[in-house]
Amino acid sequence: MRLKVNGHEAEVQEGTLLLEITDPPHLCYHPHAETRGLCRLCLVEVDGRLLPACTTQAQEGMEVRTDTEDLRILRRTLLEWLALTTDLSQAPSLLELLKAHQGRPQRWGSVSLSRREREPIRDNPFFLRDYAKCVNCRRCVDACGDGIMGVYALTLEGKGLMAHPTTPLDRPLPETPCVFCGNCVQVCPTGALRPLSMEV
Amino acid sequence: MEKPSLLPLLDARLPLSEEKVAEATRLAGVPLAQAWGVVRYYPRYRGLPQGRLLVDDPVARARGFARLLEEADGTHPPLGLEALSPIHVRVEGEKRYVEWEGRLIPFKEFRLPFALGHGNRLLPPEPILELAQYEALGGLVFLRRALKNLLAPEAILRAVEEAGLLGRGGAAFPAHIKMRAVARGEPPRYLVVNADESEPGNFKDRFLLEHHPFLVLEGTLLAALAIGASRVFLYVRDELEAAMLGLEKAIAELQEAGLLPVPTEVFRSGGLYICGEETALLESMEGKRAEPRLKPPFPVEKGLWGRPTLVQNVETLANLPLILREGPGTWREKEPKLFSITGDVARPGLYELPLGTSLEDALRKAEGEPEALKAVLLGGAAGVFTRDFAFPLRYKGRLPLGAGAIVAFGKEVDLWEVLLGLAEFFREESCGKCFPCPLGTAVQVEMVRRRERNRDLVHHLGQALKGSLCGLGQSAYWAYQSLLEVEGAA
Repeated sequence: MRLKVNGHEAEVQEGTLLLEITDPPHLCYHPHAETRGLCRLCLVEVDGRLLPACTTQAQEGMEVRTDTEDLRILRRTLLEWLALTTDLSQAPSLLELLKAHQGRPQRWGSVSLSRREREPIRDNPFFLRDYAKCVNCRRCVDACGDGIMGVYALTLEGKGLMAHPTTPLDRPLPETPCVFCGNCVQVCPTGALRPLSMEV
Repeated sequence: MEKPSLLPLLDARLPLSEEKVAEATRLAGVPLAQAWGVVRYYPRYRGLPQGRLLVDDPVARARGFARLLEEADGTHPPLGLEALSPIHVRVEGEKRYVEWEGRLIPFKEFRLPFALGHGNRLLPPEPILELAQYEALGGLVFLRRALKNLLAPEAILRAVEEAGLLGRGGAAFPAHIKMRAVARGEPPRYLVVNADESEPGNFKDRFLLEHHPFLVLEGTLLAALAIGASRVFLYVRDELEAAMLGLEKAIAELQEAGLLPVPTEVFRSGGLYICGEETALLESMEGKRAEPRLKPPFPVEKGLWGRPTLVQNVETLANLPLILREGPGTWREKEPKLFSITGDVARPGLYELPLGTSLEDALRKAEGEPEALKAVLLGGAAGVFTRDFAFPLRYKGRLPLGAGAIVAFGKEVDLWEVLLGLAEFFREESCGKCFPCPLGTAVQVEMVRRRERNRDLVHHLGQALKGSLCGLGQSAYWAYQSLLEVEGAA
């Protein structure tokens, strides 16, 4: 089938995800997890509508734009807000993106709600749960549950900006169904979950 | 497949302990992780704020909010009591009361004063809480016809289509398109009545449920027959305890009279603004955190438990008996819409007005004077400030009607304080599933607090929020942007 991407004709197979043929930044999408459509960084304009490239399949005659002024503003702003509220020091690729978008988080002033003050949780011998660095993409929750493992040792606590992963009954990980497979650590994009072997 | 829903299992065990959560989890057949996510999400499982609480609605914000707050232990989200605002509620454990006329009235006994209603087609001349009373006033004719196979499902669908009925919950989507899509789906099919009215400034559904339950139920059952639904759920806002009891009594009366063709039950909502978003609503019914789903698939294809589901607003359904009685043509000539008009008007209340009525005429009905107003908040928190008093109140116009809330603000009102209330409301009610909404609504509160008027910054805030997953985030900046426009025009 044929569609137009940024004005150029393209020929692709039916069912192809727009994310496979375009290159917007993305954060929550992971090929091994079912999280998608959450971070909204990969939004593209399809026939004038904003749709996530990670959830939208190519269709005959579609007109897709990935680099409009509005999309650049949206991505820049989202990245700035993440940097404003979250410790991205272990997420070099996000910091690079922020730089590439000429992001200036400080133009928004300060925000009283912040994830930065959260204390790291050391409740197991293998990895750290450092939610000051968590953007709540839910990849870890999905990998632990429906996505990969099906052990359901992780869930979410709270709502809004301060929502973050936790364990059932807020128990230390060794007291949950966790099997320490490490999948959650593997899929974490911001270093909120990281092996203790990396800590000096 | 359908499992016992977690929320009613938890509700039956309040106040919760770890053992009780574990028991509800076993009965629901879900992982403890899912149940814990639910317990740590909904306010009544986390623990309701206690004491004397000021209802933090746009009217209270215009009445010296800081001073009012000094006499309260905290705040409660808007409750459809704007016509009586400022008003307090009291929460003691699981028991909740409205402070009204010097008395504490339990939620399960408190109904909006009937005198607040002004209308004749959708609103009854007196509260109608008995079946015989409803029938004496001309009700049930079409439900009886449908039950005797004298009114075919297709005839109901055609009447709704010819009337051009648009959804009254705020999105104004053509009702017949959703109904036909569900009717085409494979059974079992469900009907869910969205009675989770939570948009600040609105109390139309609350009034209908509390004073006219049989009209709502007749419309609901006609829709259920039209789409071939095998079950009906009324998803009622958690705080509307009197409405829930009234509906349960009315359902029992209909059943006894042999007038309940489809099993119908009341479902207590999760108690959050986001629960009114149709897919979040379905998630909560399935025992999960009320978070919006990615669409497509839409509920008409995959709704409750993955089945084709019609989710329809209370007022939309209440119009069905009317459309059939008057005939779609006549109904359409003077399309009735309920407007909740409050704030700086002499007679705040619920007004049934024909669509197309000008904002000025609507305000004058409530004995408000446009010349004495600084602005009007139209549509609620997901609405706009405006001074366009000539604006004809109809759907798909320049301004959003939302569900029909009109809050008037006099010249002395500090609109930034009202806006701050809306901004804080959005921040508190954001579910946190996507990124733009929780981040943007938190940033917005700070911007409004410092009265940020930088056009670029406000524009960028809007551009990012527009990318949110659902309508909550997508509309969260409208009021802010519109206030700057109103200021610029003044």
